[in-house]
Amino acid sequence: MEVLFRDFQTACHEGSGPLLAATISPIAPPNYLNRLDAIYKDSNVASISRDVAFGLTKSAHAAIQYPNPQIDTWTEIYSAYWYAIGGIIAAAQSTSKPDWLRVYMAWKDLANTIIKHYSSGVLEAWTLPVLYMAGKHLRIFAIKADEAAAANGGDDTFNTGDIREDIAGDFDKNQKLEDAARVINRMFTLCISDRAPLEESRKWGLYYTANLQFKTYFKLNSPSLCKNVIRALGAGRTDMPDLDAFPRSHVVTWKYYVGVLRFLEEDYAGAEESLTSAWHMCHRSATRNIKLILTYLIPTCLLTRQLLPSPRLLAPYPRLAELFTPLVDAIRSGALSTFDAALADGEAEFVKRRIYLTLERGRDMCLRNLLRKVYLAAGMDEEGKRRTRIRVDEFGAAIRLGERGVEGENLENDEVECMVANMIYKNLIKGYISRAHGMVVLSKNGAFPGTGI
Amino acid sequence: MTSTAPYWGTGPMASHQMQSTGAFTSVATRRNFGQNHVSATPPPSTLPAAQQASNPSAAAAKAKRDWPESVRLYVQRAFASENNIPGINREELETKLKQVISDSAESNTLLTVDWANKPLPQHMISDERHQTIYFNQNPPWGNGVAPLNIHDTNTRSTDSPSKKRKSSDLESSQNGHQKVPPWHLANNRVVFEDRITHPDKRQRTDFGGKSSSKSHQAKNKKRFEDGLAGYVSPKQPFTPSQRSTPPHEMDQGPVIGRCQDLEKKYFRLTSAPNPDTVRPLPVLERTLDLLKRKWKKENNYSYLCDQFKSLRQDLTVQHIKTEFTVDVYEIHARIALERGDLGEYNQCQTQLRALHSQHLGGHPEEFKAYRILYFIHTCNRTDMNNALADLTPEEKKVPAIKHALETRSALALGNHHRFAQLYLSTPNMGAYLMDMFVGRERLAALSNMCLSYKPAIKLRFFTEELGFESDDESARFICDHGGQAFLEDREGEVMILTSKAGRFFEATRQAAFQKVDIKGQI
Repeated sequence: MEVLFRDFQTACHEGSGPLLAATISPIAPPNYLNRLDAIYKDSNVASISRDVAFGLTKSAHAAIQYPNPQIDTWTEIYSAYWYAIGGIIAAAQSTSKPDWLRVYMAWKDLANTIIKHYSSGVLEAWTLPVLYMAGKHLRIFAIKADEAAAANGGDDTFNTGDIREDIAGDFDKNQKLEDAARVINRMFTLCISDRAPLEESRKWGLYYTANLQFKTYFKLNSPSLCKNVIRALGAGRTDMPDLDAFPRSHVVTWKYYVGVLRFLEEDYAGAEESLTSAWHMCHRSATRNIKLILTYLIPTCLLTRQLLPSPRLLAPYPRLAELFTPLVDAIRSGALSTFDAALADGEAEFVKRRIYLTLERGRDMCLRNLLRKVYLAAGMDEEGKRRTRIRVDEFGAAIRLGERGVEGENLENDEVECMVANMIYKNLIKGYISRAHGMVVLSKNGAFPGTGI
Repeated sequence: MTSTAPYWGTGPMASHQMQSTGAFTSVATRRNFGQNHVSATPPPSTLPAAQQASNPSAAAAKAKRDWPESVRLYVQRAFASENNIPGINREELETKLKQVISDSAESNTLLTVDWANKPLPQHMISDERHQTIYFNQNPPWGNGVAPLNIHDTNTRSTDSPSKKRKSSDLESSQNGHQKVPPWHLANNRVVFEDRITHPDKRQRTDFGGKSSSKSHQAKNKKRFEDGLAGYVSPKQPFTPSQRSTPPHEMDQGPVIGRCQDLEKKYFRLTSAPNPDTVRPLPVLERTLDLLKRKWKKENNYSYLCDQFKSLRQDLTVQHIKTEFTVDVYEIHARIALERGDLGEYNQCQTQLRALHSQHLGGHPEEFKAYRILYFIHTCNRTDMNNALADLTPEEKKVPAIKHALETRSALALGNHHRFAQLYLSTPNMGAYLMDMFVGRERLAALSNMCLSYKPAIKLRFFTEELGFESDDESARFICDHGGQAFLEDREGEVMILTSKAGRFFEATRQAAFQKVDIKGQI
C-alpha cells in the first residue's frame, strides 16, 4: 500500500486535484499495472482502517503536518476504496459471472463517503477531481451491475409492491443506474450549494457533475429529467462564473448535451447554435466526440439551413459517411425513391439515435430538388426567360419517374398538387397553384429560395 | 336410586340424591376447588365401594335413557382412576363426556360409535391442549384468517358453552369459587378460548354426528378452507383483527376475494382491501360476461366505466395477471376509445403494454398501432421515438401497424391528401383515435391550401381532398373556424376564396398544435 500513500503525499504536496483523484482510480495506470493488486493484498478486512490511518500518518510526518480531520477523512475514503478494489479484482478474475453488483455497492459506499466529507467541509475544493472520479466510475459500475442483473435473468416484474394502483412499468431494469443517478444528483447539489468564495468554491465542479447527470439520464432514456439540471444552471445565476471560464472539456460536453436536448424537442435553431459551438470548441483529435456532435448537427442543419454535409466533411468519419452519404446523395439529385430506400436501410441506426424523424423531413428537400430540376428542364419561354408556368402534369411525371412500385402508379394529380402546396407553405417554392388551369405558377424571381434560382 | 336427569347434568343434586338414598352414605369428596363437580370419582384411597356406588348411580341415572352397554362402559372408563390425567379436573372431564355423548345421541350414533376404542374425554382434552399450544406457535394458516372465522364461531357457538368454559374452568378452579367470574361468562372472546376453538372444531368433526352448532362450524370451516385453497402467496393475508396487526398491511401478498356480487361500484382504495368486497376470479369472469351484454344493450358508458374500473381493481389486488386480465383491459380500452375517453384509454394502454410484453395473449399488434396513433395525437416525440424503436420488422408489416406508420409519415410530410385516404380506411378502432386529431390536421391542410392555391378552390375539392363526408360538413368546418367570409357562391358552385383568406387560418392552426387535449388524463 505504500504506493497509495506515496501518491497521496505527492498530490497533497503539489496541491494537485488530478493526482489526488488518480489515487482512487479503479483502473490501474499504465506504468503500474499491478497497482490494484498491490494495494489490496497489503491488508485485510479486520485491519484496513488501522493500516490506512497508520500509513497516512506516517507519510504525513515526512511532509507537511496534516491536521487530524484530514487523516480521518482519508482513512475512511481509502478504506472504502480498498473494499471497492477487492470487488474489482474479484470481478476481473471471475470467469463466469463477475459480481458487478458488489463492485457497485462498494463504489457507492466510496462515493457516499466522499460526499459526506465534502458536505462536512473537510475536503477542500481543489480536491474536486476526486469527486469527478467517484461519480464517473459510479455510473459505469451501475451500468455494469444492471447488465449483469439482466443477464442473470431479471424478470419483467410489475410493480407488485403497491396493490392499489394498476400501473405497470419496467422499474427494475435500470435499478442501479437510477440509484447512481440519485447519488450523482447529490454531488451536483453539493457543488451548487457551496457558499465559499469563488477561488475555493465547489462551483467549479458544476458542469462536470451536470454532464454526469445528463449522461445518466440519457442512458435511462428519460431526457426530460435533464430539464431540471438545465433550469438549475439557467441564466440569471449571478453567483456562478461564466460558462467560458470553466474548463473547455466540461463546456464542450455541456453544449453537446444541451444541443441534443434541444434537438429532441425540435428546437432546431437552438440546437444548431449549441451543437455548432460545441463542434468548434471540440478538440481536433477527439474523433469520437466530434462524430457524436456531427450526428446531431447534420440533421439539424439539414432542416434549418438546408445545408448538406460535403464529402470532405464526412471523410474523416467513415461510420458517419456510411450513414449519411446515400441520403445526402439522394437529396442532392432529387431522387425520391433512392432517398426512401436509403432512409429505410439506415432506419435502425437512425431510430436508435432518434434522428430518424428529423431525417424524414429531408424528403422535402429531395422533392424540392426534383421539382427544381423540372423547372430547369422546362426550358425557356418566348421572352427568353424561364417558363414560370408549369403544368402539374409535368411535376407529376417527374415524381412518378422517381417513385417505384405501387405508390408511383397510384399517384394522382391531386396528390402532386398537395405536395407542391406543402412546398409552397414551407417556403421551399415560391408561387401558387392555379387549380382551374392545372398549373403551378412560380415566382419570377427566386422560385426556389436558397438555391440561387 | 333414581334421578330424572342424566347424571352429569345435575352435579350437586346427584350427589345429594346419592346421599339421601341407599344404604350407604357416600360422601362426595372434593378433591379440588372447583365448583359443580358431580358425584366425582373418589380418590384412589377411597373404597372401591364408593366408586362402584357412583357407577351404579351413574348407570341408574342413565338407565332412564337406555344407554347402550358400550356407552356405559365408556363412561366407566372415563371415570376410572387409572385413566385420570393430572391437570384435567373432574369438571372438565364431565363436561367433555357429556358433550361427546349428547352429540352422538343427537345424531343417533350411540350404537355405531366404537365406544370401546374411543379416546377418553380426558385424553381428548389433553390432546386439544397440546394442539392449541402447537397451533399457537405455528399456525399453518397464518394469524390472519383464523381470527376472522373465530369471531364468527364465537357468536355462533354460544350453544356450546361447555367449550367456552374450559379455560374459565381452569382459572376459576383455582379460585375456589362456585361462580364463574362474570367476565368469562359474558365475553366469549377470551384469547385462549379462541385459539382452542379451531382445534376443537376439527376434533368434533371426527366424532361424526351433527349438532346445530356443528353445521355452523362446518360452514365456517368450508369458507375457511375455500379461502385457503385460493391462497396464492405464502405471505400473510390482510387481517382486520387487532390481535395480529402486521405493521406493513399494504405489503401483504394478494388478497383472496370472497364477494360474490357481480356488480360493484368503484372506490379508490385508501387502505388495504377488505376480502369481503373483493370478487374472486370466477365471479369476475361472470361479471365480464354481464358487462359485455350490458354494453351491447344499454350503452351506458359512465356506469360501464365504473364497473370496469372496479373489475380492474379486483384483478390488481388479487395479483391476477393472466389472459383474462389482458382481455379485460383490452375491452375496456376499446370501449373508452369508442367514447373518446382518452384518460381512461391511456391508463389501459399503459397497463396493456406491460401485459403484452409478458406474452399473455390478446392483440398486441392492434394496440401497438393504437399507441402510435395516440402519440401522434399527443405530439409526444420521445415516446413516439421509443415506440418506433421497439417495432420489429415483422410487426411493421402488420396492416394495422403499417397503417399507423404511414399515417405518421404522411402527417410529418404534410401530405394531407394521403392522410385523408388513410383516415377513411383505418383498420380496427383506430378511427376513433384519428378523430381526435383529424380536426387539427384538416385545419393545417386548410391553411396550406389557402396559401398555395390561388385565387380560389372549389368547396367540392376541399371536401374530397380532406375526406369530409359531404360539402355541408366541410362548409361547417370552415365556418367553425371563422371562415364563413371566404365562402362564396359563384356560378352555382361554392368556392373558398383562398387569396382572400391568406394567412387567416394560420393563427388557429398554430394554436391547435400547441395545445393537445388529453381529456382528463390523470
